[in-house]
Amino acid sequence: MQFLHGTKIDFLGKRKTFIYLSLVLNVVGLLAPFILGLRFGIDFEGGTEIALQFSEKINTAEIRNVIDKQFEGAEIKSYGKENQFLVRVALNLSKDATGKVIDALKVKYPNETITILKEDTIGPKVGKELRTKALLAVVLAVIAIMLYIAFRFEFTYGVGAAIAIVHDVLVTLALVTIFSKLAILNLEINQSMIAAFLTVVGFSVNDTVIIFDRVRENLDRHKGMNMIKLMNMSINETLSRTINTVLTVVMVLLIITLFGGEVLQGFSFTMLVGIVTGTYSSIYIASAFVIWYMQNVKKIDIEGDNQRQIKAEQLKAAKA
Amino acid sequence: MPDFDEHMQTNFGGNTLKPNLFWKYFIVLAPIIAAGFLLYPTYRSSDLEKKEQSFKDANGKVIDSVGYANFKSKYEDDIKSNKSKRIKLGLDLRGGMYVMLEVDIVQLLREAASHDAVDDIFEQVIDKTRKETDLNEDQSVLDVFQKNFNEIAKPKGRTLINYYEISGEISEEKILEKLKKDIDDAIDQAKEVIRQRIDKYGVSEPTIQKQGARRIVLELPGVNNEEEMRKLIEVSARLEFKLVRNNAEIVHAFYKIDEYLSKSKKNTVVSDTAKTDSVKADSTAVKVDSTKVAVNDTTKKDSATAKKADTTDPYAGLPKEEAQKRYEKDHPFTSLFISYFIQNEKSQPISYIKDDFPDGEYYFQIPQSSLERFNNYLKRSDINRIIPNDLQVLRTAKSSSPLNASNPIYSFYCLKRDPELKGDVVTNAHASFDPQSNTPVVMMEMDPDGAASWSRITGANIKKKIAIVLDDQVYSAPTVQGKITGGSSQITGMQNAEEAHLLEIVLKAGALKAPVKIMEERVVGPSLGEDSINSGLMASGIAFLIVIIFMGVYYSTGGWVANLAVLINVTLIMATLPLFQGTLTLPGIAGIILTIAMAVDANILIFERIREELLRGRSARGAIDEGFSKALTAVIDTHITTFITGLILFFLGTGPIQGFALTLMIGILSTFFTAITVSRAIIEILVSRRESGMISFGQPKSL
Repeated sequence: MQFLHGTKIDFLGKRKTFIYLSLVLNVVGLLAPFILGLRFGIDFEGGTEIALQFSEKINTAEIRNVIDKQFEGAEIKSYGKENQFLVRVALNLSKDATGKVIDALKVKYPNETITILKEDTIGPKVGKELRTKALLAVVLAVIAIMLYIAFRFEFTYGVGAAIAIVHDVLVTLALVTIFSKLAILNLEINQSMIAAFLTVVGFSVNDTVIIFDRVRENLDRHKGMNMIKLMNMSINETLSRTINTVLTVVMVLLIITLFGGEVLQGFSFTMLVGIVTGTYSSIYIASAFVIWYMQNVKKIDIEGDNQRQIKAEQLKAAKA
Repeated sequence: MPDFDEHMQTNFGGNTLKPNLFWKYFIVLAPIIAAGFLLYPTYRSSDLEKKEQSFKDANGKVIDSVGYANFKSKYEDDIKSNKSKRIKLGLDLRGGMYVMLEVDIVQLLREAASHDAVDDIFEQVIDKTRKETDLNEDQSVLDVFQKNFNEIAKPKGRTLINYYEISGEISEEKILEKLKKDIDDAIDQAKEVIRQRIDKYGVSEPTIQKQGARRIVLELPGVNNEEEMRKLIEVSARLEFKLVRNNAEIVHAFYKIDEYLSKSKKNTVVSDTAKTDSVKADSTAVKVDSTKVAVNDTTKKDSATAKKADTTDPYAGLPKEEAQKRYEKDHPFTSLFISYFIQNEKSQPISYIKDDFPDGEYYFQIPQSSLERFNNYLKRSDINRIIPNDLQVLRTAKSSSPLNASNPIYSFYCLKRDPELKGDVVTNAHASFDPQSNTPVVMMEMDPDGAASWSRITGANIKKKIAIVLDDQVYSAPTVQGKITGGSSQITGMQNAEEAHLLEIVLKAGALKAPVKIMEERVVGPSLGEDSINSGLMASGIAFLIVIIFMGVYYSTGGWVANLAVLINVTLIMATLPLFQGTLTLPGIAGIILTIAMAVDANILIFERIREELLRGRSARGAIDEGFSKALTAVIDTHITTFITGLILFFLGTGPIQGFALTLMIGILSTFFTAITVSRAIIEILVSRRESGMISFGQPKSL
């Protein structure tokens, strides 16, 4: 069986269009959290979160009425099944919150058996620490990977990979924020979401590494070939691997997002977005950056006989 | 290796093996055997558990006690050794409680200072230290304290010698040395004491670990009474026996506080109006309560005991309400509570109109609604200075009027600050019921030294009250009826039998040297654990199945080889997890799934390469060799980058995230091994057994 074979797609020919698209997406990714607001889990905000299960189906609005009396601004939402709820109480009210919530609900629903599914209480100090550590982890991971690739390939490649990773993180952040805002999925920035982001950092760079690896090999084999041609060739040669891997991983993550339960949902969705973005960015960010750097910083004539085309494009760009 | 050859020949039915093929078999079989060996305890342990359950009914009660005892004695060691080696499930999967505690070192430093010496400068140093260390958990509190002390107190001519008393040679270095030792001791001791409490409470397989400089992480599987657990962990359990000093001296001090407060109010009108306003807004309930004081005042006028007050009453002639208002204004402190003078075993209310109090015993009551303001006053160092240095004011743990649930009334006592006896003399404690009053009590026994002291103390204080104080709350303050020899004593004043039971446990385990605070707490109910396992496992199962089918269809025989390698891979991860003290958490399962993806990716990379080489017209052998060697660099690089993130996650993450990072890292190592070595060995074994010398990698036939 074989899906793709001997493709000769000119991936990098349209790189400028895609770079602009990426820029737009990145700006969205940077701004979305500020405009739409990030929803932090209690891991980072502090407070108490209780997941409850009733023996029968109960209206969320009714529960909200009961809880609101005691805890102003408490957040109530459904959790998984119809008879399960999540109650979130702000930090300053969270002392003995579980007991008070249960007592209030028991008064209102004397015939119900109320089971506590889970309960998390996070102090303000811990929340702050976790936030700092999460940010530190992402930054450290990006730097570590950049250094590793710079060491294994060339410095330019390392920078290209690092930019691609930052791109993936921002695009993923944009989509997570938008999906969360539209309430399609229950997505909060919590510890496992950070784990997902870090895994995106680690895994999405795979595609980049594999393309670069092929470029390195082809540079040896086809000495003198122009860089864009060579990159395109490398991307095409690794394309069937890319498609197959991404397909399997996407399938796995899709299944976990749909059936893996509440806890794994945020994690797998983030990964899903990140992996797909990672594949795209390995071509249009990482590889495109290497070409851009060679053309504009090192001033290497990488297109050989295609000089006229470059000039034409430059003219076009100047007009625009 | 002729020996091996012979052995192998018999095993593989006359198919002559070349020595290098033996190693291929070895590479494939060794991890399987090793994994089986490592996984056996998990299997054995669950098997034994099932057998143990068969002796019990649904509620966990033993039915066949003889059989159970036989079983226990026979398999005791077996159960223990297997339990320690099996795969442990994380709290998110089995249900339980996760608690992160912080030992309050700043408080320890504060309490270690001698009380007489503590002043505003010292408090300033303590406050600043608390603020700064709150932000960074890894910082040494003592270093920050020392820095702040040098910045704030040193310029004002203070040295550590002013605040800390030590025996032997006295110098700042020696004090710091001792404080450092105290801090280290306090953390280790806290861990040990909490372990004992948890063991005595009966939690199976708890994990208790030190984290960072001053934190303790507890994982308590199967615990579902969080409320009790919290009490059990957080309580310092510092038990002290103190003499009650409810005498004219303290009433006098209270009067002085009133005087001081109303005077300072007049002097600093501007700054204080805001304060009084906020206080008023704070507690409307207090007004209602203080009418009681007013009532007491009026009854007092009729009573024969306090005639003097009558003539000097400055509010005489004013309307009742106005008098009440004026009284509260002039007595901001004492109007918060009610004071009685005890005469002929009867209590008479007193008021603080005049500084003229008879000698004798007094008694104080305070409603809960006034407690906060009361405590805030007492916390102020300017007010604290008015109260004699050797005395302290503490309230009771239990309210004296359980009927008024919305605003219970507490008593408070004035106690001699230095305890007569400390709880460390208690050797045993036992919760029971007092049949006469039908209230829970805890009986205590003391060591010989403690018993001797106790006998001396009680003998010297007959007909006086001694308060039993636990964590700065008075549990009871009985009057000593006679000398107590033999070192037994009892505590009353608990709310219920559960509380008495918890008290028994904490007294047995001993007191904490420094208080601990709960920073983070997570509870997973058992039913959520089950749901999580089920949905997580189901999703993983489906995902795994789809990947297997895809690989098999797309890469044909090669794909099945990869599947076998992935299966060995997953088994290996599970088997090695206990070796690293890892627990299997839900994020951990996610880590394993991710590993499968990585493994599949590595195989796809290799197989695509082999196909490419075949396309280029290489021989079967050559294509396999080239495919593996050329894919190797890419496989190494992709695995290392993912490993790097795993490593960072492991060191910066906590709890469940660490579980994820650990499985990811173990997974990457084992994937690297299985994808490169094991699947290659299988392919070569297969190739050697085929006459065509080639297996299918799903490449189109026409090629």
